[in-house]
Order: sequence, then C-alpha cells, then structure tokens
Amino acid sequence: MGVALAVAPLVLPSFFLQLLTEIAIIGLFATAFNLLMGFGGMVSFGHAAYFALGAYTAALLVKRAGVPLLAALAAAPLVAAAGALLFGFFIVRLSHTYFAMLSLAFAQIVFTVIFKWKALTGGDDGLLDVWPPTFLKSPAAYYYFTLVIVGLCILALHAIVDSPFGYALKAVRENPRRARYIGIDVRRHQLAAFVISGAFSGVAGSLFAFYNGSVFPDFAYFTKSFEPLVVALLGGVQSFFGPLAGAFGFKILEWLISRQWPVYWPLVLGGIVVVVIVVLPSGFVGLVGGRRWRRQPAVKA
Amino acid sequence: MSGLSVGMLLFLVSVGMSLIFGVTRIVNLAHGAFYMVGAYLMVTLVELLPDRPWAFWVALLLAPVGVAVLGGVVEVGLLRLIYRRDPLLQLILTFGLILVIGTLVLLVWGPDNKSVPRPDALAGSVKIFGQPFPSYYLLVLVLAPLVAVALWLLFYRTRWGMLVRAATVDREMLGALGVNVAALYTQVFVFGSWLAGFGGALAAPTVAVALGMDGDVLTTAFVVVVIGGLGSFAGSFIGALLVGLLQSFGILIFPAVSIVLLFALMAVVLIVRPWGLLGRPDA
Repeated sequence: MGVALAVAPLVLPSFFLQLLTEIAIIGLFATAFNLLMGFGGMVSFGHAAYFALGAYTAALLVKRAGVPLLAALAAAPLVAAAGALLFGFFIVRLSHTYFAMLSLAFAQIVFTVIFKWKALTGGDDGLLDVWPPTFLKSPAAYYYFTLVIVGLCILALHAIVDSPFGYALKAVRENPRRARYIGIDVRRHQLAAFVISGAFSGVAGSLFAFYNGSVFPDFAYFTKSFEPLVVALLGGVQSFFGPLAGAFGFKILEWLISRQWPVYWPLVLGGIVVVVIVVLPSGFVGLVGGRRWRRQPAVKA
Repeated sequence: MSGLSVGMLLFLVSVGMSLIFGVTRIVNLAHGAFYMVGAYLMVTLVELLPDRPWAFWVALLLAPVGVAVLGGVVEVGLLRLIYRRDPLLQLILTFGLILVIGTLVLLVWGPDNKSVPRPDALAGSVKIFGQPFPSYYLLVLVLAPLVAVALWLLFYRTRWGMLVRAATVDREMLGALGVNVAALYTQVFVFGSWLAGFGGALAAPTVAVALGMDGDVLTTAFVVVVIGGLGSFAGSFIGALLVGLLQSFGILIFPAVSIVLLFALMAVVLIVRPWGLLGRPDA
C-alpha cells in the first residue's frame, strides 16, 4: 500500500494525483471526526466549522499577513482547536441528540460569521489565489506533501486511540456512568477528544485550502459537515481505518457520478446514507467483518 | 409587527418539529425540507389552478396535504424500520433526507427562485400606528394563532390529543395499556409534516421561494424548540415569538450579527436549562 502510494506520481496522470490528494485530505477529516463518533460515541453535525477555521486561518495568514506556508499550516490546527475548545465546552455538556444539534448550531454561527465578515474573509466571494509556494505547486509535489502530513496525523491519531486516554474514551462511550464510577472525568475526556478532533479537522482544512487554491464560506456549511459523516459511515465507524477506506470509496464514487450527472450527486450522497443506515449499519467495511453497530466493543485496527 | 408574523410562521414549523420529537423522540432534520416542499407545492398549485380569487385558498389547503403525504411515506417507508436502533441513526437518516429532498426539489422545480403572488384582497397594505403594514401579514397574524388554539383544543380536549400527551410522557406504558403506538407515531409524524407544509405554504407569498430556504428555517426552528423545550407545545409558542421578535429587532440594531445573537441566546438557554424553558429534563 505504502509503496503503491509512493510510486503513484510516476505512473498516474496528474488528475488522479489530485484525486488521491483529495482522498488523503478527506480521509484525515473523517478519521478525526470518527475519533468522536466511533471511539467517543459523540456525533457532531458541525465539524465543518473546524475544517473551515483551519482553512481560513491558513489562507488568511498566507494571503493577508504573508506568513510562510509551514507556519500557516501549524497555526491552523491551533485556531481550530481553540474554536473546538470554546464550543466544545458547551457542547459536551449535552448528550446524544442535543450534542449533535448544538454542534450544528455553533457551526452555523461560524458559517454566518465567515459569510458576513466581508472585510476579513471576503464573504460570499471567498479568498482566491491561495496557492502554495512554487516548489509545491505541481500536483505531484503537493501530493507528496499532503501524504506526509496526513500520514503523520493518522499515526498521531492512531497513537491517541491506542493510548490510555483512548481506552478511557471508549469506556465513556460504552457506559458513561460506569466510567465515572471508576474515576474517569467523563466531560474532560469528551472535551479533550472534541478538541483533538477539531484540531486535526483544522489540519485537513488547511491542506485543502492550498490544494484548492481558494477558500469559501461553504467550507463551514452544514452540507460540508455531512461529508465526514458519510465517509465514516461508508467505511465503518467501528474501525480506525474504516474512514480512510470510506474516503476512497466516497471520492471515487463522487468522481464517477459528478462527472456524468453533477446534479444528482447530493441525491446519491443522501441516498447512500439512507441505504447504509437502513440496510448496512456497520458500513461497507462491516460487510467484510460482519460487526454490528455498537453491539461489540471497538476492535483495535 | 412583522417580527410577530415571522414568529407566528416559525411557530407553525417548530410546533410540528416539537410534536414529532415529543412522541417519536426523533429530531426531524428534514422538517425544514418539508417546509420548503410546502412552499414549492404552493407555487405549482397557484400556477395550475385557474386564476380565480378562490385559487389561492384552495392551494393553501392542498399544499400542506401534499407535504403530509410525503411525511407519511418517510415515516412508514424509512423511519419505522429503525425505531429500535440507536437514536443517532435516526438523526443521521433525516439529515440524509435533507440532501435527497433538496435535490429532488431542484430537479422538479429548477434552480430559479419562484414567488407566489398574494391574493388580491390582501395585496395592499394597511396603516398601523402610522406605519404601512402589508395586509397579508395580518392574515398570518390571524391564521397562526387560530391554528395554535385549534392545536390546544386538539391536545387537551380530544382523546387523540390525550394519547399524544401520554406518549410524550411514557411510550412504553402507553403501549402496555393497549394503545397502538406504531399507528400513533405515523399519525403524529404526518400531522407534524402537515404543520411544516402549512407553514411553508403560508410563508410562500412573503418570501422568495428558493433552494436553501430549508436550511434557514431548520436552524431557526431548531433554535425555537431548543429555547422553548423540545416536546413542549407552549414552549414552541413562546420560543417562536421570542425568536421572531429578536430577529426583526436584531436586524434593525445589529444587522450583521442578528443570527449570532439568536444562537447566543440558544447557547445561554442550553447552558442554564439544557431542556429548554418549558421542557422537561431527561429528554
């Protein structure tokens, strides 16, 4: 797998390299999201907010302040994490349905602020010409660059899931009350997971900003929050690598369908969700493993 | 005054959402989409019906019925299959329906904004306190409270309403007492969808009927029910009035941040009383 990804630029035309770059970015976004959903049992409907915070932070720093790319990329997760800390402080106080709805509400605030604050963010027009420096401009160079950063982030997330913190988080998901009895501070763990997840979503957003060359308020819109959810559902939320596999399936499907019938893409996207939920609750990866939603403890990937 | 009528329209949408949640414990995220379908059906019906004074009123009756049918199909065809599973799956499913319905509306009605002409009798404006006020808004101000009174009578003076209230308190006990809870779920979902459709149809002449109106109304209705308390009838009424007034005054005072004001109010309510002003804990 690693070798195949490494030699890909030698054999594939640049279009597919861009597709792979997008897959890596959304794979990271969905994996970060799934730290909450799969391992923490918390479904956020507003993760686009942290993706957008990362994207806008990086784009604004490079464009308005002339900060070098790497520094901008480093700042993005910090701002996203700060946003996640601020909102998460309130969100983790609620459970299940209310959790999802409040996260959606905060994301709508972020969207509105970006949309209305024309002087800073460009409003509806977005920020254009946000390109990386010349040595990263070719699709192959940016592909390698993305692959390295996404790879490092995935390793870090995997280490987090595998750490005592990760196991405590799973305990909170399975039974918050019992977790509290054995001395786990439930809210603090949930908030920490929320902030970590937001920070990595911010990394994904900043990588996407330079890949895309521009940022738009849509990045924070609720349909964007839907993407990591669908990707994670497609790949299976119970496994760590499920969302990465889901990202492959998702992007390739999107490419196949929106090339021919762009109008139908949201229909297919929504249709997939409906079908997966009604028919295949553990995602397509679950088809192979035969695991059921929330019935068995998460298995180490 | 216009804040009041906006609040009244919001009430129609959010009370349906709140009702569905109270009984089925599903937050129907597609509720805004139902509202949008109601408005678009209104567009089509007004176009199709002959150009007579009664056409508008017939359309206003029929459009919500179409939405109610749609709600029935969704409940029986999809939601019923997953009631026993994790509630989050139901939430995600209705989220998926937003995309499906949104695309179908785009395919059927096209991307252009539509408008519904106000009926001739209400096309003008009247002076209230020296300010011109569109007379159509008066219709909203009359109809929506009428619906509110009708709802109150329905919930507190009929057997069906009693069952609905019982279901919001303890569904299992109601089932154990021999009530067909599955049928009640369908009825409530259909009725809630009808309310969303009615809100959409009634709002159609006051707004541009456009794609994306579902997201706007969903977030506002959501703020209303969270502030008022999910599953609380009176809470929806008070929440809708508060939000409607806050929105129209907010636009006058801080145009750019009026929506932030709204969510800030909601965040405060959630922090102080997570179950809403008039809701019950443990929702």
